[in-house]
Amino acid sequence: MKTALINASPKESGSASKALLSDLKSLFLDEHTIKEFLFHTPNISEEEIKDLCNYSTWVFAFPLYVDGIPSQLLSCLCEMEQLGVDCKNIRIYAIVNCGFYEGKQACNALAILKNWCDRTGLIWGTGIGFGGGGSLVRMQGVPVGSGPKGTLGKVFQELISAILSQSSIENMYTSIGFPKFLYKVAAEIGWKQMITANGGKKKDLKRRM
Amino acid sequence: MKLILSDVRDLPIKSDDKYHVIYNDGNLHYCIGCFGCWIKTPGQCVIKDGYSNMGQLLSRCDELILVSKCTYGGFSPFIKNLLDRSISYISPYFVTRNGEMHHKRRYDNVISISAYFYGEDISQSEKETAKSLVSANAVNYDGKVKNVLFFSTAEEVKAVLI
Repeated sequence: MKTALINASPKESGSASKALLSDLKSLFLDEHTIKEFLFHTPNISEEEIKDLCNYSTWVFAFPLYVDGIPSQLLSCLCEMEQLGVDCKNIRIYAIVNCGFYEGKQACNALAILKNWCDRTGLIWGTGIGFGGGGSLVRMQGVPVGSGPKGTLGKVFQELISAILSQSSIENMYTSIGFPKFLYKVAAEIGWKQMITANGGKKKDLKRRM
Repeated sequence: MKLILSDVRDLPIKSDDKYHVIYNDGNLHYCIGCFGCWIKTPGQCVIKDGYSNMGQLLSRCDELILVSKCTYGGFSPFIKNLLDRSISYISPYFVTRNGEMHHKRRYDNVISISAYFYGEDISQSEKETAKSLVSANAVNYDGKVKNVLFFSTAEEVKAVLI
């Protein structure tokens, strides 16, 4: 079985999507053929599409942007539909990392991707909405399935079972394995640290133009 | 002011003191997820392509009118790109709204969203997704949904906007 892991974050480095795919990859057995693809920009070539069609399973990972799919990925999906994805029986899975705590907020992004499958003749497998995904970049040393990544481990096991059996299951929604108030506090401390590191002041985070 | 984001050119409405219409001039860069509009130049996008003031424009409007090809139940890449580039309208700080985590307001204006989707063969599933998406957008802006309407062609949208 051959699986394409598609990092569809617009960020070229340090993305939660990359961290998620790295964790997912660690759960596959060595004999499973995996290739990583990058959809960082709004363009995709016919060669890339042809290459993707050699893989029976595609797993997209991307951040939730304004309740939907990041625009550069959306452009790639449109281009694939226009160029024609001349490969059927490919099953699509997706992992959406949400900056908000509730993974459920990814439901519209997953619905859009499923609608794309309906238009292109690809088969929708399932999607995961993972809340609190912004914290994953700082947890790359934590094994998936342990501690705050315990919840992620559970949905990833379900996802891998679905991929190996080539089945379609209901979307799954979960959150990082620590309390919402701690996630909120940690995120807001992070914003303050980042703006001061950029030479600004904490109060600038509220600036009106 | 009513802010119109349109992927259809030549709407029968011109920018004046009541309307501000934004079209695709071909220079719009995609959002790169840097959060510079929150942590480097708060309130303004760092990408200098003529669209860096989207958050500011949203803060001046009472109605946001989106004219978009219905694309898999969402907006077209151009309109979605404008929305991705508009997150400086809200604050990076969090608030609980409808029992869910969302971003706090940066400004006081309340936006009503009207979405005019067009497409020859919009499926029922796509219509349902589009309605759900616009509702979610309104919650994120702490605003309201005014209309979510579907048309077969862009010309039909132009006709109702006259």
